[in-house]
Amino acid sequence: MFLAWNEIKKNKLRFILITGVLMLVSYLVFFLSGLATGLQDMNRESVDKWNATAIILTAESDKSLYQSSMTLDDAESVKAKEIAVIAQMSAIAGNGDKKKNVTIFGIKEDEFIMPSVTEGNVFSEVGEVIASDALIEEGFKVGDKLQLSSTEETLTIVGFTDDARFNAAPVLYSDLNTFDKVKYGESADVNKNNINGVVIKTDDLKNATENDALEVVETETFIRNLPGYTEQNLTLNFMIYFLFVISAVIVAIFLYVLTVQKISMFGIMKAQGISNVYLSKSVIAQTFILATIGVAIGFVLTLITGTFLPSAVPVSFDFPTMLIYGVVLILVAIAGAVFSVLTIVKIDPLKAIGG
Amino acid sequence: MAILELNKVKKSFGTGHKQVDALKETDFLAERGELIAIIGPSGSGKSTFLTIVGGLLSPSTGEVIINKENLSSLNEKKRSKIRLKEIGFILQASNLIPFLTVEKQLKLLDKVKKGNMTKAELEQLYKDLGISDLRDKYPSDLSGGERQRAAIAKALYSNPSIILADEPTASLDSDRAYEVMELLKNETKNKNTTTIVVTHDTRLVGYCDKVYNMTDGILTLKSKE
Ligand SMILES: Nc1ncnc2c1ncn2[C@@H]1O[C@H](COP(=O)(O)OP(=O)(O)O)[C@@H](O)[C@H]1O
Ligand SMILES: [Mg+2]
Repeated sequence: MFLAWNEIKKNKLRFILITGVLMLVSYLVFFLSGLATGLQDMNRESVDKWNATAIILTAESDKSLYQSSMTLDDAESVKAKEIAVIAQMSAIAGNGDKKKNVTIFGIKEDEFIMPSVTEGNVFSEVGEVIASDALIEEGFKVGDKLQLSSTEETLTIVGFTDDARFNAAPVLYSDLNTFDKVKYGESADVNKNNINGVVIKTDDLKNATENDALEVVETETFIRNLPGYTEQNLTLNFMIYFLFVISAVIVAIFLYVLTVQKISMFGIMKAQGISNVYLSKSVIAQTFILATIGVAIGFVLTLITGTFLPSAVPVSFDFPTMLIYGVVLILVAIAGAVFSVLTIVKIDPLKAIGG
Repeated sequence: MAILELNKVKKSFGTGHKQVDALKETDFLAERGELIAIIGPSGSGKSTFLTIVGGLLSPSTGEVIINKENLSSLNEKKRSKIRLKEIGFILQASNLIPFLTVEKQLKLLDKVKKGNMTKAELEQLYKDLGISDLRDKYPSDLSGGERQRAAIAKALYSNPSIILADEPTASLDSDRAYEVMELLKNETKNKNTTTIVVTHDTRLVGYCDKVYNMTDGILTLKSKE
């Protein structure tokens, strides 16, 4: 530490440069991870909120709620500790001022996926819905009448609930009667038994259903199969992993150049009997100091930026993930220092003496 | 008991018709409290001799014994420990670390060496070398003479048994060179160390107890007249 720190103090500029680069890389990593989490939340928030074990869909639906179609009778045959039927459709909802893509969930009020309201009331009359509070920021309020793209029916927001976005759209929770009216219009009565799936909580997934036409899809699997979800994550994670490699390479090159410049100095120290271990530790310590400072500043900058971002940017910071990424960045930087350590070990003190 | 002993030490570089016998078979003894000069023209083998004594270069044959330890039987790690404990190097080019102040140069040694100088001893060292006022300066802020004195302080730090100096005065003017030799002489006598100075500057031999001549790898004791 002694050598490492004193060198940093004396040669501030060059070490500020490398710290700056590490800071930018970690800033980018943290930001991308925030974006990844934010985008994930947009897709899965409502499903996470249910806290369900699995969802039962038709086998031919390919794990898509939208493609799955069954009846309330199918739901009767499901065996689980708790069950909740769900019907789903997408629509564009407008309050005369703003228009927004929404997902409408038709549910039963007495089942466990019924949301608790954070503002307003639960639905009681036909035509009433509980809306995702994401819509508040878009300018929607309790009492708003919503025109829908697909029907003449209008819906009324009677309350808001939190954590209610599904596949990137805010959710409107309604009673099944309301849902049928909106989805089927005149033929609501004929279709009143139609639902898309059954959400369950159970300890015994295997025996949830004996119906071969139905498939039990675990919550995580269901989420992974949401349109675009996995692709999005892969893309962002790939970028993050690539940044890890980049920072390792940057640190490796930078430290290597510094080390090569100091070969004769290291040689003199080795001639004096200062051990390879001490010199190597010094380089590692130096890298650790620089990387830690860089990552810490990057982290703070990310948080500051986060507070200034408009709510439309789907960034959400997950601290455990950021902590892991921060540690990985530091470790990766230290891995980059290994080259320099190898160089130091190979220096012949005799050459430095220049006999 | 001699502090330093070379038995039938020989060093050749290269093989076949390209072989250079940089140091012919040499026996050598040095006692505590001796200031020894080795003079000879460039390429005669002085540095080869000094680096072998310092344990930086292994002889082709023969053995080097420092303070009862036979260097030839040790690996680089152990030799490095002996260098740290027993030997102080003073080099032609300053051996100072550019990003440490004079004080910190010594502090570094304090960290890597066990069994260190007391504060009073350290103060005395600063005083002996006339660098008390330079301790917060970086090498780049020192003159050539000051730099060499700081380098000597480093070599003398925590009292090694042997001080090896390769052309320590090469970059200094005459007055400074005499000053440095005076210093080395005092330290050798006061601390009862052994100092070997390699030089081609014959004016400096007056300070030394023994003078050896190196010619074509052959070391011969010169009688002082
Ligand atoms: N590493 C080496 N490889 C080959 N020849 C060397 C090497 N080091 C020294 N020599 C040769 O050994 C001889 C003595 O060199 P050196 O001890 O450096 O002389 P001096 O220090 O007296 O000028 C010279 O001929 C030199 O070329
Ligand atoms: Mg030489």
